[in-house]
Order: sequence, then C-alpha cells, then structure tokens
Amino acid sequence: MNLKTILQTAALIVAGIIIALVANAFASRDRKLAFSGLYPNALTLPARALPPRETSVPPAVASGTAAPATETIATAAIETAGLNPAAQNPAAPMTTSAADGGSPKRSRPPLVATTTTASPVSPNPHSPAPTAGAEDDPLKRFPPHPDKPYVEIALADVKWLHGKNVLFLDARRTSVYEQGHIAGARAYSVWESDIDDKVRKLFDERSDPREQALPIVIYCSGGDCEDSHMLAQKLWGIQFNDVYVYKDGFPDWQGHGGAVHTGANP
Amino acid sequence: MKRLLSHPWLTIRAQIALGAIFVVAALPKIADPPAFAHMIYNYRLVPSSLINISALAIPWIELLAGLALLLGVWKSAARTIITAMLAIFIVAISINLGRDNAIDCGCFNVADRGKTHEQRIFDMKVDVVRDLGMLLLAAQLWYAGKREETP
Repeated sequence: MNLKTILQTAALIVAGIIIALVANAFASRDRKLAFSGLYPNALTLPARALPPRETSVPPAVASGTAAPATETIATAAIETAGLNPAAQNPAAPMTTSAADGGSPKRSRPPLVATTTTASPVSPNPHSPAPTAGAEDDPLKRFPPHPDKPYVEIALADVKWLHGKNVLFLDARRTSVYEQGHIAGARAYSVWESDIDDKVRKLFDERSDPREQALPIVIYCSGGDCEDSHMLAQKLWGIQFNDVYVYKDGFPDWQGHGGAVHTGANP
Repeated sequence: MKRLLSHPWLTIRAQIALGAIFVVAALPKIADPPAFAHMIYNYRLVPSSLINISALAIPWIELLAGLALLLGVWKSAARTIITAMLAIFIVAISINLGRDNAIDCGCFNVADRGKTHEQRIFDMKVDVVRDLGMLLLAAQLWYAGKREETP
C-alpha cells in the first residue's frame, strides 16, 4: 500500500467521522446519540434467559381480608459490586446546607451507572409475602433493596403495583412506546440521548429520600431485552433503591389484557 | 486465468456490486444511530465508551467507501476500508457464534425483529458466508488493482 492510498484512506475515515458528528448534532431527539454512553455490561456476555419460576406463596390472611394472590416469584438478578452509595449505607448520604437553615438535604450524586456486572447469577426469590396491614402499601410489600439495582417481577406483581399507581417507566425506544405502552408509563429509552436528562428530572421530582424509596417498575420488550435492566442500573446509580424489572415486558402485559395507551403521553 | 480474474468486465461489476451493497447497508444505520448502537452493544466486543461513537461513525465511513467504489474515485482507499470492515464483521460474528451469543448482525437492518435464539444463530452463519463472498469480491478488486499497477 502506497502513501497516497494511506492518505486517502485516512481522509475517507476522517470525513466519515466529521459528517457523523455534524449529522448527530442536527438529529432529532430520538435519533441523537450521546458521544459516550455508559453501558456497564458492554463486554459481559448475557446469561441465557431462563423461564421465570412459578411458585405459590400462601396468601396471608390478615385483618379478615384476603391478601392479593401472589403466584410469581421473581428471578433475581444481580451480583453487584456494591458501588451504589446507598448500598454501602442504606440511610443514604445526607448533607447539611447552611443556605436552607441547616435542614438535611440529600446530596445529588453524579449521573453514572456504577455497577460492574449484572448478569443473572442465581435465583433470589422476591415477591414478599404480605404481612398484616401491609396488603395495600406498596412500600411494605415491595421494600427497598439497596444492595441490588433491581429485582425481577412477573405479571401478578406488576398488575398489583399498577393498581397502586406506582411509577412505570418504558425503556423501549420512543417510537415503539408511542405505538403502545402500559397505561401511565413514561418513555425512558436508554438508547436515546436525553436519557440522562430524564433520569435527572426524575431525581429532582423525587428529591425527598422517602419518595426515592417508592417502588418503580421498568419494562421493555421481554425475552432477552435488557434495556429495562440497563435503566434500572442507571436509577440505582443515583440512589433509587426500589426498582423492579418486569421481566416479560410489554408483550406479556398486552397478551394478558393489561391497560395500554398509545401516543406520546403516558 | 490470471487475465480472466483481473479482466475489467469482472472488476467493474465487482466494484459496483460491493459499492452498492455498502451504500445500501449504511442507510438504515444512518437513519437510526441509537438502534445501531444497540446492535453494536449486543456483540459484547466493544468497550462501553466506544459504542456510541462507533454507531455514529461506522455507517458514514461505510457510505463514503461504498460511494467511492461506485463512482470509481479513490478506489484503492475504498477497497482498503471495505476489506477491513468485512474482516472485522466476519471476526466479530464468528466470535459470537463461538460463544453462542445469538445476535442480529445489524448489517442491513437495525430493527429488533424478535427472532429466536436458533433463528439468530442460523442467520449469523448465513451472514458469515455472505461476508466471505463479499470478501472474495474485494479480493478480486485487490488483485485487479495490483495487476493494473504492474507494468
């Protein structure tokens, strides 16, 4: 290969990169990419999807009312490096601000996903059995789990949480979201450039640590779709400690007649 | 035989075919960079920090190299890039075949088509064979180019 070919080759590559950057600068929101993404498992092979275990949890009868039937057990998911600050200190870091009269205020962590691995490693049954007086409280039935970014749940639990108006996030592409999504879910595609802004907005919305401890359900397309897990890791990285991944995702929800909305709004 | 392999009739057709394939392959990736980034991620071979920039740059480099071949300008540079890309694609798909990581290759379509593991593995084998065929076309261009340069 002569010098001329080398220079022409370099020129084509540089031209390609420059055009790509310019095109990206003018791309629409859902076509734009951040220059550097954070994909903690970029070099980790996914574990083959295992069918969710179906077991029965005996319904607890308390206060004379039947507890909601819970027939699913989530498959668990995560072996974490414990990098979430709250994982090391579940009480979450507090700072005191002189400007606001010394009232405790949660510090705003950097927006990074900090886990190193997230491959399904071993089953970790979740689906807590209802306890007396806890049947209707999502927080009691689905308590925070600061030691892992997410817990996988299945349809019965998802329906129950949906009935309690828990926040649902749709991790699929916005164009797919608009074609149909779980009623009330917000579009949070991990592959689009505005995801960090959306996560930051959610952090601001739920700035109170008690609000951050409320359950959040994330879903994508089920099967081997990992977008919901990636979003869960992002949220865990900024101290959302009660995140649930709907393993079978939207196709399962739709297949079981769950409420679906179309369009850009939840 | 040598004269047949480097005959301009064959060379021009190989050039147009390869150029057209690369242009066609680049367009869906240019239209939807986030989907292509997802495809690159699925290979589990590219470091996190390089996924997005690869998803942005590769399709445009593909397009420029394909156009150069089609138009017959900077042919040597274009076939260098195209040969390198084909080699990388073949190695990347083969590694994932070896580790039984079923993926959509993202070669001509970046939409998730919901295929089963077995369908994906089969398609990956087809992709490797197709890319090897394209590599043969590139080899013909190299051979003809060498013969052209030799007085």
